[in-house]
Amino acid sequence: MPNQNGKVYGLTILSPIIDDEQVTPSHDLQIRNYLAQLPIDEQSPFALAPGTHLARLVVMDDVIYVGMPACEEHLKSKYLIFESNCDGDLTSYLTGLAATIPEHLNAIWIHCVGYPGTTNLQAFLNYMKSCQIDTTFFFAAVNDKSVPETLRALQTQHAVADFIANHQGTDPTLLQSDFIQLLADLKSMPLQKAGAMAPDRDLKTGGRNE
Amino acid sequence: MSNINGKVYAMNVITPMKPWKTGLLRILFFALWHIKPMQKDLINLSFIEFARWVIVPRRSFPFLAQGQVPEDLQYDYLLFFSNFNGTWNQYIDAFSSVLSRGLNLIWRWSEKFPGSVPITPFKEYIAQVQFDTDYYYTAYPYAAANDLKAAHIVQSSLDQLAAQAQTSTPQQFAEAYLQFVVRVQTHLGNTGEAPVVS
Repeated sequence: MPNQNGKVYGLTILSPIIDDEQVTPSHDLQIRNYLAQLPIDEQSPFALAPGTHLARLVVMDDVIYVGMPACEEHLKSKYLIFESNCDGDLTSYLTGLAATIPEHLNAIWIHCVGYPGTTNLQAFLNYMKSCQIDTTFFFAAVNDKSVPETLRALQTQHAVADFIANHQGTDPTLLQSDFIQLLADLKSMPLQKAGAMAPDRDLKTGGRNE
Repeated sequence: MSNINGKVYAMNVITPMKPWKTGLLRILFFALWHIKPMQKDLINLSFIEFARWVIVPRRSFPFLAQGQVPEDLQYDYLLFFSNFNGTWNQYIDAFSSVLSRGLNLIWRWSEKFPGSVPITPFKEYIAQVQFDTDYYYTAYPYAAANDLKAAHIVQSSLDQLAAQAQTSTPQQFAEAYLQFVVRVQTHLGNTGEAPVVS
């Protein structure tokens, strides 16, 4: 049912991690070590690849025992969970990841059972889809905008706030020409990089609440 | 702290359910999905960017052969992933006070769920069934869910005004601009580093 909410796709993948007691450190720990040194800013693999709003990677060691009278049980495998909130349809998204960040995908998923690598795209897509679990209910606060549209809107919001603050009481003719210039500036402005922290704005505020 | 990136917190929760209860929960989610007014409280919790519930039936854990031992489970599992702004405590408190009825409907099928009110056993339960995030990415770490909604309102309002800017007289433009400012003035909140919370 609802993997898709509007334009946003809710991808959930559970990939079983190789259990080999001969390997030290264990495969799950190798994944964790790799993820720990992966950048989360504009250098993040998910910033370099197109279409990811938010994503997480989690090693799930086991299910959780909630206590008596529930039965205690354990997983036979550890699982790598990949949860992504992304643009477009699944095949395009996964193809974009494979084309842009194959080295990261391979470094992470090489520790998972049956992972074929990204060289054979069809095998990669088949593998990822075979590990997918359908989302049962998917909520998105904004479900009709892509990542570039959202980054553009945030950039616009920033510029408009400054423009309004700087044009209070401005003569209509100047206001109109400056506004047309603002539109031109926004159009030519390079898009804020995904994953990057926006520059802080110097708010000129005042009043009793400060 | 990899559960947090900028203004967003990643929560992962897993709870066991007896398989016969899973069908009932699916019916509930089906209704929640198709009857939009039932989502009103969830939408009103405006600090959630994305959230999802995923039912994993006990025989549906991916099995890829090649030496993998098949799972042998008695329970189905309910996974919950949330991306929200603010602290863990704020989130659970708000969930408990605003969405208690809805949460109870969703999690009452999970083993030993104590109910979302009173808050103390509810928090203890969530803390017990939560597991940490190893890697967390957001395309806009400086923006909260309300910032995103506000930015899109500003963008669409600007696009409307832009259509008039080239063709109207300065006086007509000034009037349209004033209307634009009135429309967007509550949607210009600053984005940036998240406040430090304890």
